[in-house]
Amino acid sequence: MHEELKHEGVEAARRDLADRTLAKIRGDLARLIYLASMRDYNTGEYHHEGLACMFTESVAGKAIASCHRDVFKRLLLCSVKELVEQLELYARTNCSSSSELAHVWAKLQPYRVTVPLECSPLASRFFVSNIKAALAILESRQLGAHREPQSALPGP
Amino acid sequence: MSAFAYFLMAAVAILGVCLLLSRRAGRRDFDREAYGTGQETFLLFGRDSVDSELSARIFDPEDLDFVAIETSRRNARQFRQERTALALDWLRAVRGQVNQSIRAHVRDARENAGLKPSDEIRLGFEFLLFQLSSGILYLVIWVCGPPRAAKLLGYSLKLAAQLRNVTEDVLPAGRYVGVELMDNKQEPRS
Repeated sequence: MHEELKHEGVEAARRDLADRTLAKIRGDLARLIYLASMRDYNTGEYHHEGLACMFTESVAGKAIASCHRDVFKRLLLCSVKELVEQLELYARTNCSSSSELAHVWAKLQPYRVTVPLECSPLASRFFVSNIKAALAILESRQLGAHREPQSALPGP
Repeated sequence: MSAFAYFLMAAVAILGVCLLLSRRAGRRDFDREAYGTGQETFLLFGRDSVDSELSARIFDPEDLDFVAIETSRRNARQFRQERTALALDWLRAVRGQVNQSIRAHVRDARENAGLKPSDEIRLGFEFLLFQLSSGILYLVIWVCGPPRAAKLLGYSLKLAAQLRNVTEDVLPAGRYVGVELMDNKQEPRS
């Protein structure tokens, strides 16, 4: 009985998080970054003050973890082409340019900390490999875009 | 030398390589630190369809083609190498799980007096076929890359599924180790 109530609570917290917060974030990649940012690096537990006030700390943590897994699964199973689109969307809404995002992410590799705790090493490596490829494509596209206007200029 | 002798030599060579690779893969099963325990290596979030979808994605040529078109040769080569390594690790994990289920079956069979010899022979034969096909699959992935191995993969997985069914049939209450396998709908596009 207690477990059932707890499960219902987690479901309600999940819905609340999805409807009120995640729905307003554009793109799964941005959602993933947001959800991973609520995780404590040392304990692996999630914290969200508003959600914890409405429900309980434990229920809120479980709801965030569940949303994190769902978003990660969607990104894991999407193609590199879709990942490039996600990165472009993320860059448009969060950074100054795609090339800046590609450059900084290639160096800092922040996508590595977005992997859920329960994820297998194989799935984690697959995700990282896809993101790296998507970043390389983004960078190539930016380089191509920079070269095109130069080549369009009249010669001396 | 007759054509038959060449064929025999080729078959022996393939079998030898498969055996070598299979032993190598077997040794890696024990490398828990690098690859995790059998299940944790293969499974994503427990037993659900995501695992079979992930395997289909690993062997899907779509990403490799897209990366080859969109980026430099060096990046495309690196991506291909990463995919090959992932496919090989995935295969090791599947083999590890099948081996684990067979070991569990052998353990349980020792305590079970009502076993049928015909079922055991069938299981042994299918296990041998699985070892052979997965050994060839390992070789094909290693040499040609994951997309080319996709067709053979379907056959190996069908055998693994049969093995699972046989271990379940022989010991209905047995403690088999589940292997998440692709069903026909989720076979990789080749």
